[in-house]
Amino acid sequence: MSISVYLVDDHRLFLSGVRAELSEEFHIVGSGYDVDTAIEQIRGYNPDVVLVDVHMPEGGGIAVVEAVTETNPDVKFLALSVSDSAEDVIAMIRAGARGYVTKTIDPGELSEAIIRVNAGDAVFSPRLAGFVLDAFAGAIPSDDDPELDQLTSREKDVLRLIARGFAYKQVARKLNISIKTVETHVSSVLRKLQLSNRHELARWASKRHIV
Amino acid sequence: MTFRRRRSNRVLAGVAGGIADTLGVRDGYVRAAFLTLLTVWGVGGILYLLAWLLSFDRVADIDVEQVESRRAVGLGMAFGGLLLLMGAIGMWPNTAIVLTAAALSFGVAAITDPSSPGPFAALMSPGVDSVSRTRLLIGGVLLVGGIVTFSLSVGRIFEFGIVFLAVFLTGLGILIAFGPWVRRLLNDLGNERNERIRQEERAEVAAHLHDSVLQTLALIQRSDDPQRMAILARHQESELRDWLFGTAPLDGVDLLSTALKQTASRIEGDFQVPIDVVTVGDHPVDERSKALVAAASEAMVNAAKHSGADRMSLYLEVDDSAIDVIVTDQGAGFDRASVPRHRKGIAESIEARMEKAGGEARIETVAGEGTEVILRMPL
Repeated sequence: MSISVYLVDDHRLFLSGVRAELSEEFHIVGSGYDVDTAIEQIRGYNPDVVLVDVHMPEGGGIAVVEAVTETNPDVKFLALSVSDSAEDVIAMIRAGARGYVTKTIDPGELSEAIIRVNAGDAVFSPRLAGFVLDAFAGAIPSDDDPELDQLTSREKDVLRLIARGFAYKQVARKLNISIKTVETHVSSVLRKLQLSNRHELARWASKRHIV
Repeated sequence: MTFRRRRSNRVLAGVAGGIADTLGVRDGYVRAAFLTLLTVWGVGGILYLLAWLLSFDRVADIDVEQVESRRAVGLGMAFGGLLLLMGAIGMWPNTAIVLTAAALSFGVAAITDPSSPGPFAALMSPGVDSVSRTRLLIGGVLLVGGIVTFSLSVGRIFEFGIVFLAVFLTGLGILIAFGPWVRRLLNDLGNERNERIRQEERAEVAAHLHDSVLQTLALIQRSDDPQRMAILARHQESELRDWLFGTAPLDGVDLLSTALKQTASRIEGDFQVPIDVVTVGDHPVDERSKALVAAASEAMVNAAKHSGADRMSLYLEVDDSAIDVIVTDQGAGFDRASVPRHRKGIAESIEARMEKAGGEARIETVAGEGTEVILRMPL
């Protein structure tokens, strides 16, 4: 059975474009261009994966992720945006999205990302990898849980290669590890990103009065 | 203190009335104060003009509650103190003139109350309260005293100098005649400047949009190559974003990330190969990092020309110890030994430039898999 996907974006033109690209490979259950409709319909359809735009009126993608996660914890989110703003993207991931890709991604890569998110893995685009490295850079670990507040040097190696545009497969080969190990590292970074109380992450978010 | 001048019920510009409305005292006393100060080397006139300049435009008169007599006494004492202070610092021209002017003007102000039918009628009327009665009495005494001192000292005024009086009257006349005109001129100049600033801002936005966005849209309409359209759009997007969100120059300091993004954007346009730029950390552009930008630029041009890859990546990472810039393409790669000796691009533009600036360059390439140019500048 093909993966069911729901699309949330306030740009209808973009919405119809993505719909056309993905409809062969995936079961597109619906799409919404405002926050309230999207929340209601996602709760009703309970799709496998939701593609959600970061920037939207009335709370944006974060509002959708937070509201749906409360009632339907199994729905997985992949954030999709033209936004360059690190704090918005990090806030989206902290709200529960399992990945972030930019709208300039080519259709093949987008399909791959949806499949990966559905499988429970994290999807880090080069830009997100850069944001994460930036957010954790020069960190002095806090006392509560130092492990959560810092990236291991292996995790940094993986993120750097992703930031430079290498696919997971190429990262694995360059570091002489398996793809599965690369995925484990990325998922671990995602967990730290979502749970860390790192000062920097909090500051990023508070600058925009989110979280 | 700012206040609004009166529109009606005024003698000159409505300044005294405005002050009276603000303080809550009768306008007559404020006028009397100005008149009295006028006899002290013309201070009253200067104060009047200053207050005029500081005041807001006229508004319709507002009903102002008269202050209680305790406050009126306080204000009167403050005014008397001001006169004494001027005397103490030697600004006292002629005690008799000042006292005469004060007695006359305050006396007139006290007995002419616009709210009552007339000073004498009010005094006769049984309904008048004791405060008003006292006020009228004091006013009358002041007026009589003033007239007496004036008649006694009128000869001294002429002794003092008819020339002074003439100059003073002429100056006052000119001020009264041209004051409003000067004031209006100053206002107009201010408005004109604000309007000009607004116009310039609008023109700047329009010019920017015309030079960038509109030009790009025109180019996209005329282009039938999707690759070229995409590059034009990317280029425009990053430029507009920099302009809108001010990621370009920060506090007058150019940042390395910005310089690299601009360089990448230019090469993208020249060679029509998309360049994905990711930056971690940042550093101001200085002499050494300029060498980095130049070397990275050469590496990107090489990749665009020779790798055959359909895109490349530019990665910047700044930490405490070094700046790393890595240009990666997943194209043809090459065999270093097979590069003709006369092709000096890599040796000179990249390696020698980095070494001269105190950094190093490393090139890793595998034929058929791509090339990485790794530039490192220790901090």
